[in-house]
Amino acid sequence: MRANSADMSSIQWQFPSRLFSPARAQSAVRTAVGNRIGLWARKRQGTDSHSTRLLSNRVYILPTGVGLIYGLMTFAMLLGSMNYNNNLSFLLTFVLVSLGLVSMHQCQRNLVGLEVSFAGAEPVFAGQLAEFRIAVTNHARNHRYNIQLYADRIGSEIDDLRPGESRVFQLDLPTTARGWIRLPRFGIRTLFPFELFRAWAWLHMDLQGLVYPRPADQAPAPPPTETAHGHRQHDSRGEEDFAGLRKFHAGDSPRQVAWKAYARSGELLSKQFAGADTSSQWFDLNQVNADDIEQRLSILTRWIVDAERTHADYGLRLPQVQISPANGAAHRHRCLEALALFGLTQEADA
Amino acid sequence: MSSRNGTDGSLLASLPFTLGALAFAIAPHVQYLPVWVTVTFLYCAASRWYIEKRRWRLPPPWLRIVLALLSFLAILFSYEKVSGVGPGSALLAVMGSLKLLETRVRRDQFVLLFISIFMMMASLLREQFLWSLPYLIAGIVVTMTAWLNMSLARPVSLRRSIASSCRLILLAAPVAIAMWIFFPRISTPFWSVPIDTSSGVSGLSDNMSPGDISSLSLSDAVAFRVRFDGAVPPPSQRYWRGLILHQFNGRTWTGREPSIDPRARRRISVSGEPVRYQVVLEPTRQHWIFALDMVIDWNLKQSFMGPDQQLAYTLPIDQRLSYSAVSHTSYTTDPQMTSLAKSWYSRLPESRNLQSIALAREMRAAAGSDQKFIESVLRRFHEEDFYYTLQPPPLGRDPVDQFLFETRRGFCEHYASAFAVMMRAAGIPSRIVLGYQGGELNPLGNYMIVRQSDAHAWTEVWLPGRGWHRVDPTAAVAPERIESGMSGARYEAIGASWGLEAPAQWLHQLTLTWDALNARWNDWILGYGPENQQLFMQWLGMKKPDWQKMLFTLLGLVTLGIVAVSIILLRRNRPPPKDAAARLYAQFTRKTGLPPHTGETPQNYARRLHERPGQNPQSVDRVTTRYLAARYGTPDQQALQELKSAVVEFRRSA
Repeated sequence: MRANSADMSSIQWQFPSRLFSPARAQSAVRTAVGNRIGLWARKRQGTDSHSTRLLSNRVYILPTGVGLIYGLMTFAMLLGSMNYNNNLSFLLTFVLVSLGLVSMHQCQRNLVGLEVSFAGAEPVFAGQLAEFRIAVTNHARNHRYNIQLYADRIGSEIDDLRPGESRVFQLDLPTTARGWIRLPRFGIRTLFPFELFRAWAWLHMDLQGLVYPRPADQAPAPPPTETAHGHRQHDSRGEEDFAGLRKFHAGDSPRQVAWKAYARSGELLSKQFAGADTSSQWFDLNQVNADDIEQRLSILTRWIVDAERTHADYGLRLPQVQISPANGAAHRHRCLEALALFGLTQEADA
Repeated sequence: MSSRNGTDGSLLASLPFTLGALAFAIAPHVQYLPVWVTVTFLYCAASRWYIEKRRWRLPPPWLRIVLALLSFLAILFSYEKVSGVGPGSALLAVMGSLKLLETRVRRDQFVLLFISIFMMMASLLREQFLWSLPYLIAGIVVTMTAWLNMSLARPVSLRRSIASSCRLILLAAPVAIAMWIFFPRISTPFWSVPIDTSSGVSGLSDNMSPGDISSLSLSDAVAFRVRFDGAVPPPSQRYWRGLILHQFNGRTWTGREPSIDPRARRRISVSGEPVRYQVVLEPTRQHWIFALDMVIDWNLKQSFMGPDQQLAYTLPIDQRLSYSAVSHTSYTTDPQMTSLAKSWYSRLPESRNLQSIALAREMRAAAGSDQKFIESVLRRFHEEDFYYTLQPPPLGRDPVDQFLFETRRGFCEHYASAFAVMMRAAGIPSRIVLGYQGGELNPLGNYMIVRQSDAHAWTEVWLPGRGWHRVDPTAAVAPERIESGMSGARYEAIGASWGLEAPAQWLHQLTLTWDALNARWNDWILGYGPENQQLFMQWLGMKKPDWQKMLFTLLGLVTLGIVAVSIILLRRNRPPPKDAAARLYAQFTRKTGLPPHTGETPQNYARRLHERPGQNPQSVDRVTTRYLAARYGTPDQQALQELKSAVVEFRRSA
């Protein structure tokens, strides 16, 4: 991303007329300074765990625009009071000055001690908003007011936290491409009590959410259904009649887990159902009729979404991945994840 | 366009507070503001509230601009200027009213609150009464509550928001008081902007025309307060010298503009004991400074003595002034006088008051000496049917003649004027002194109140060898006016005439108590200027206080206060107290020497303990079951007791 913007600026040299746009220069400077400060803060604080307590050494504070005007106003009032040697107006001025100082501390304390934890991000399709959910817990005995989470220009709702209360804030990040959407840094901020100061803390939790490919708007008809008979009728994919228990495999839906048995034995088992009749389709990347690989992935995504809606079994065949036919939320996720990450390096796990 | 002017009811929660803060700030100005300003504010406030409630649209921008221009012109028209506290506060009030009409989003209200803070300050520049302090505090609470409500994302209850802002103000108060005490005060103003104080300031006028419509002040307003260091001079010596009138045009006496005479002080020679005292002078918007006759020393910067030994201040006095002075009641001034000066002080207009002049010359010839002549004139006032009255009839073209020969009724001005004219007619230099005479001792504060109703006029005559010499002709007519003063006499007279002596007395006591409170207020709070601050610093033990030391102390105290605030706020961030069962269980886990994992259930923890050597499984189980019972069962005291004994008895078995 950063290398990209450097390229852009080198291009700009060829168009000097554009170079001297002050707004552009200002925003470039702001971005550069912002990046610099971001790097510094990251270096200083390190990577945070997914549940982090805000200590006072990482809560930063600066006056807001209103705070600066307030400061100017109190200074003007001080000059006026000195000029007239007016003791009551001195008193008013000093009460306002020390209210400013108190509100600075109150503002910082409004964040200190909060616990911020990642509460998950549901996978979304490209073009939808990725909803990063972040829980903030107030372990203290006092109220916290006007707490907001933000990432760059995206802000969550502003909300209060009662003593002991925990509240989930949501950051909606726009997505454009499939793969991982990363949230290397987000912030928590408050303007309480008088909006004279803004206190904030940065959290580097390296959050990421999965973005499925965008389902194609117009997709060719999916490949024909193959109906399986006989032995395959009693495999593990049906969801109609209870057929027994088997050991839990990662990817099984929590709805399938036999919780009562778990309580008895402490062993995770999945309930098996036998379907009466199972039909399945194979979705193969190489058989999709489109030029662009992204387009093909989009079409596959559309097929999977539609197939899931009809509770039909479907399997997915990619050059290095093969997922045998099944249906259900977990299966759908497995397939869509494979599509989302197809061809992307494994850097996300690194 | 419509969306930019539309309202959506989002201000319903915070607007009432903001309107309240504005109203609170404007209220003390109402009596000085043109009526239309107050009406504009009330109208804008009410209509803004109604617009928000009905989700109507705000007036379009062009209308607001036209209104702003119109009201600016109207203020210009009302005041003929835009600087100073009067027009300034009117302008602020109008700006606030019009800003209301364009306040659409929450944050627009910041401007309104800034305006209300400025208006609060402007009202303090105007007047600082005893009740101004509680009003100021209430104003700060109202404004900051409004501010808090505006910045809160979710509306909270009225009680809660007031409590929050009060808590913040209380935290800020110690720091603010420390700043107030230690911030170095300076005496010279940077600039001078006229303050339009209450229109009812009654002071002495700069001239005197006995015979015009009675202009004697009957106001009980305090002119100044005096605190004597030693013995209080007797009433007949309490002449508070103000300004001198020495030019007479037949009807009106006028004086000079305040001017400095460096040699005036040297022409005074004194004898007897000095009288030392402090004066707190109320604003007069004039230059004159009042001191006991005759002042020889005073400490007030920017003040000087004029040619007639009257004190004056370089600026019009629109703030309360406090100064200390030394006077001698027996003195002589100007033992020598040039013949030019003599003729100046004896000048009378030709062809006016001819009867009086003739009478004076006749009496002078009969008396034989100047001294005897003075005595005979005073005797004439005393023995013939002259009356002292506050409602004298008006006088015509020759007021002195008419007064001496026809009406014979008047107050101090009439007698002083007639006396001075007669002196001048006989060739004796004379002049009129305007000031105050008397004053009431307030036993509650042990100080003297001199009121506007104590205003007085007397004469000074110049005799060779004796210099200027005070003669009060009113004393010859109404000695009780001089001996008991105006105020005391008037209170008794009012009470007696209504047959209400006891309540009048009681009321008078109440007035004195109130005045004593005001005097303390003036001395300690309003009069805390450079001099008092120096004294207070010395009293605190600061050696040679200067502004650096005060600033350092100020910074130190503010830092201390803020650290204290920080600690208080941090303590509020402590976790809530754990319940008793959890505390006992934590004690148990400490005893085992094996910390539980986060999220580990008590049963799992117990199981882990069982596997460890050196733990007593029975007591571990006993603590665990009793903890679960006490924490998660029906809460009762007995379960807690059992848990406690189990924890106390728990030992890591050897």
